[in-house]
Amino acid sequence: MVPIALLTLLLPSVRAAGGCCAAAAAPAVRSDRSTYQLGSAWTDDAGRPLKLAELRGRPVVLAMFFTSCGYACPRIVSDMTQVRDMLPPAVRARARFVLVSFDDQRDTVPALHAYRGLHELPADGWVLLRGSPDDIRELAAVLGVQYKRDALGMFEHSNLITVLNAEGEIVHQRAGLEGGLAEVGRAVVAVNSR
Amino acid sequence: MNHGTYGCLLLLTAAGVVRAASPPGMVLIPAGVYVPVLRDQADAGRVPVAAFYLDAQPVTNGEFLGFVRANPRWRRSQVPPLFAETDYLARWAGDLEPGPQAPGDAPVVEVSWFAARAYARWAGKRLPTIAEWERAAAAGRQGDTGRLEAGFTAAVLGWYATPTPAVLPAAGSGRSNFFGARGLLDLVWEWVDDFNSALVNGDSRGAGGAGFFCGGSAASNRDPADYPAFMRLGFRSSLHANYTVANLGFRCAEDLALRAAAAP
Repeated sequence: MVPIALLTLLLPSVRAAGGCCAAAAAPAVRSDRSTYQLGSAWTDDAGRPLKLAELRGRPVVLAMFFTSCGYACPRIVSDMTQVRDMLPPAVRARARFVLVSFDDQRDTVPALHAYRGLHELPADGWVLLRGSPDDIRELAAVLGVQYKRDALGMFEHSNLITVLNAEGEIVHQRAGLEGGLAEVGRAVVAVNSR
Repeated sequence: MNHGTYGCLLLLTAAGVVRAASPPGMVLIPAGVYVPVLRDQADAGRVPVAAFYLDAQPVTNGEFLGFVRANPRWRRSQVPPLFAETDYLARWAGDLEPGPQAPGDAPVVEVSWFAARAYARWAGKRLPTIAEWERAAAAGRQGDTGRLEAGFTAAVLGWYATPTPAVLPAAGSGRSNFFGARGLLDLVWEWVDDFNSALVNGDSRGAGGAGFFCGGSAASNRDPADYPAFMRLGFRSSLHANYTVANLGFRCAEDLALRAAAAP
């Protein structure tokens, strides 16, 4: 039987070796206006867990969507692609384009992954996320997105593209589906240089 | 004991759990329907609402004090602006002191949606949805549809037209309705969980009403006489989640199933 004192000596060295419990520490959220103060747990289209704070450090262009959306969401994705294409290469390499689904029931990991393929969203630039209904409601509330599930399980929602700076603060939003993309691009460039 | 008897006993037991075990301070709102004020194309117009428990009165300053004692990040001096704007608990005398403007038994107000939600979670509950809240608030004195009762709608409009007193009366002083819920219409406005599902553009002067919303078109109005419901819709649509308003408080809800599961 190993004495307790010896066990206590052993434990720190196990941690230091980076074994089981050396989870990557989430970058500390530094601003009290940061969206990343939300502690919600999301999953990407590869099934990996993600906390919003992990998006910290780079400009983020974010929209909420759902894969079954027939009209507005493909337009939003197309608009975000246009914004990405218009960015200077150095900015494009850093900015992350994030799509968060309203649809916790139908937008499973495989469904999100299929959507990525369908819309040809490169892995290095785009993040697709699913989460719990409570967390979806909370994120929408932070962003100012309105939505409801209708009787058919589809979603009625406002159309909003949000630019977050490296700290996760909202710096620009473009509402609706008409115009305003140049301003979105300028906002991304502006926060990238900080 | 044969299967029939056993089945009956199970049913009676389940009913007994539901009837006998309203959590303290809560009332049972039986299953019913909610008829939205604005109906969208995809909605049948009548939304079924499962039975649930609702706080009999709004959450008080005293109760909220317990919450902020236990959760320092929700104290006035510590709450991040993301989660509550600058007038959060403005009438309180201090972080842990409601003070004379916020009697312990009065509804807590000047709280954001985030704060209300966090309180509900801490209390082991949740916020009611719009459908649940409206279903509960539709009740009059004699039944579950108050606007069919003489004078009901006029009374509600009268309450809505009355200026909010600087110091609110006790949370239990509101009018009790058919379900035993008090003060849903004559005390303060109340947060709901899906307040941002109203899909009404507050600034319709903005460029192009089309394109702001996918899917919804405000089609038929259910009942032009139910102006109070329109007012509530308009009010909710004007809110942002971190807003605090002098006459906006909240009460909590709870699923039936959870309470039944917890019963001995």
